[in-house]
Amino acid sequence: MIRDAAGRLRLGPSVGLMTCAAVIAAITSITIGAYPLAVADIASVFLGRDAADPVASMVLIEVRLPRFLLGFLVGAVLAVSGAILQGLFRNPLADPGLIGVSAGASLAAIAVIVLGSTWLGGWLAFAGEWALPVAAFVGGSGTVLLAWRIANRAGQTSVATLLLAGIAINAVAGAATGLLTFYATDEELRSLTFWTMGSLGHATWRDLLVGAPFMILALVATPWLIRPLDAFLMGESVVGHLGYRTDTVKKVAIVVVGLGVGAAVAVSGLIGFVGLVVPHLVRQLLGASHRVVLPLSALLGGTLLVAADSVARVVVSPAELPIGLMMALIGGPFFLALLLRTKVI
Amino acid sequence: MIRFFAVLTTIAGLLGAPLSGASEEPRVVTADGAITETVYRLGAGSLLVGVDTTSSYPLATDDLPKVGYLRALPFEGVLALKPDMLITSEKAAPQENLERLSRAGVKVEKLPSAMTPEAAMQRIERVGQLLGRSEEADGLTRDLRADIKKTQALASKRGFRPKVLFILAAGNHSVMLAGKGTAAEALLDSVGADNAVSGIMGYKPANREAILASRPDAIVVAESTPGQFNAEDWPGVMRLAAWQSGHRLVADGMLLLGFGPRLPQAMAELNQVLPVSSSVAANDS
Repeated sequence: MIRDAAGRLRLGPSVGLMTCAAVIAAITSITIGAYPLAVADIASVFLGRDAADPVASMVLIEVRLPRFLLGFLVGAVLAVSGAILQGLFRNPLADPGLIGVSAGASLAAIAVIVLGSTWLGGWLAFAGEWALPVAAFVGGSGTVLLAWRIANRAGQTSVATLLLAGIAINAVAGAATGLLTFYATDEELRSLTFWTMGSLGHATWRDLLVGAPFMILALVATPWLIRPLDAFLMGESVVGHLGYRTDTVKKVAIVVVGLGVGAAVAVSGLIGFVGLVVPHLVRQLLGASHRVVLPLSALLGGTLLVAADSVARVVVSPAELPIGLMMALIGGPFFLALLLRTKVI
Repeated sequence: MIRFFAVLTTIAGLLGAPLSGASEEPRVVTADGAITETVYRLGAGSLLVGVDTTSSYPLATDDLPKVGYLRALPFEGVLALKPDMLITSEKAAPQENLERLSRAGVKVEKLPSAMTPEAAMQRIERVGQLLGRSEEADGLTRDLRADIKKTQALASKRGFRPKVLFILAAGNHSVMLAGKGTAAEALLDSVGADNAVSGIMGYKPANREAILASRPDAIVVAESTPGQFNAEDWPGVMRLAAWQSGHRLVADGMLLLGFGPRLPQAMAELNQVLPVSSSVAANDS
C-alpha cells in the first residue's frame, strides 16, 4: 500500500517514485532539445567514442550537461530555501521573494546592465564577465544582511519585523529597478526583460563554477536545520527547550537562503514558484517533518525545474520560452488546484 | 528496359540537381531586421533557413523558422537549423551562445549598427561579401547612394534645420519620444533636421506637456504595427500646428529606424513632409 493510516503517502515508495522522476527528467533534459541528436551519437559521446555528428559532443557536453546541472541545482536550492523560510516564519506563503532576497539580487544585476556603461564602468572593467553574477550574489546577500540588521534588536531577532522589513525592501528594490528601467535605453530594456523572466538558455560551465559552490554550500548546511525547524513548528519557545539557540538557528537559516538564492538568481535570473509550490507539494503528500520536507523539496525542486526547462526549450523551437514564464504557467494553476483540493494551506 | 533506366536517371537527376545545388550555397540565419531585408534585396532570400523576431519584412520572412529575439538567441535553436553562417548585429546576445555557435562550426558575423547613411551602405556591401553577392550589393548601394544624394540635395536647399518631433508608437496608448543617441535622431540628421525634444536619452514615455512645448516644424510617428497610432487619443499632437498643416509622417518603425536598404525611401518620405520655411512654428506662436 502506498498510503498509510493517516492517508499520507508512504515515505519509501514516494522517495522511489520521486527518484525515478528525477532520473527521467535528467535523461529527457539531456536527450531532447531543438538540435536533433541520434541516440547512437549520445551514447558515443558518453562512452568517449567519436560520434557521427561532429557537434554532438559539443551540444551534449558544453550545452545540455551544464544546463541540466545548473537547472537541477537552482531548482533544488530555490525549493529548499522556500521550505526553510516557511518553517522559520511558520508562514505557508514564505518564499525567497518574501524577504527581498530575489529582489535585491535582481536589482544589483539590473544595475550592472543599465549603469555598466556609466557609473559602474569601473566595476565592469574590473570584474569583466563575472560582473553580473557576482553583483547579483552580493545584492542578494546584502539584502539578507540588511533585513537581518533591521530585524535584530538587542540580540533578539523578530520574525515579524523581518517579514515587514522584507516587504519594505521589496518595495524599495522594486522602485529602484523601475527607476533603472526608466533610464535604460530601449536596448538595455529588452535584455532586462528577458533577464527578469529567468533563463537557463545560456548556462555554461563558467556559470556553474560561479554559482555551484554557493548553492552546494547552502544545500550542505541544510541538514543541520532539520531538527530546529521541526521545533519551530511547535513554537519558538520549544526551540530553546530542545537545546538550540533560536538566534543561531535563524542566522544559519538566513545565511543559507541568502547564499543559495543570491547564487541562483545570479546564474539564472528570476525564477518564481519553485520555492512556493514544491515544499507545499511535499508537505501535502508526506507530512510536515523537515526530515522529509527538506531533502525531498531539493529532489522535487530540481526535477521540476529541469522538466520545465526541457519543455521551455522545445515547445516553441527553434526559439525558447523564458523558464521563469514556464514555471509560472505550470506552477500557478498547479498551486490553485492544490488549494482547491485541500481548501486549507 | 534501357528507356526505363533513362527515365529513372532523369528523375534522379531532377531530384538531385536542386539538392546538390543547394548544398553549395551557404545556409544562413539572420538576426536583425535590417540585415534580413538586405539579404532579400540582394536576391539571396533562398539562402535563409531562419530569422529572428525583429525580421518581419518582407512578408516572405513569415514562412521561415523564428529563432527568437536577437538579444536572447538560443544555442540549440540556431544550431538545429544547421546554418553555415549567422549574420547579426552587434546587439546580438547572449555572448556565451554566440561563442559556442562559432565553436560548433557556424560562422558568426556581428555587423556594427549603422547610424549614418554611409554606414548603412557599407553594411549592405558587407552582407553582399559574406553571401558571395558583392556585385549585386555594389549595384544596389550605387542606386541607393544616388537616391540618398538626391534627397540630401533637396534637403540642403532648405535654408534652416527644421525641428521634428519623433514619436514611437509601441502599443496601446503607449507613446515614446525619441531622444539623443537614437536611430530616430540619426534619420532626422540625415536629411538636415533636428530633434524638437532635447534633454532625453533614448526613447522615453511621452509627456503631453512636453509635446506641446516642443513646437515642432514637423511630426514623425513610427509605428511597430500599422494603424497603431491613433491621433485622436493624442489631442496634444493633433493640436500642434505642424500636424494640422500636414507636416506629418506616420510610417512603419522598421522602415524609418532600420537603416537597411529602405533607408533612402525613409529619407525621401521624411524629407517630403518637412516644411520649406520655418513659418509653421512662427504662425503657431
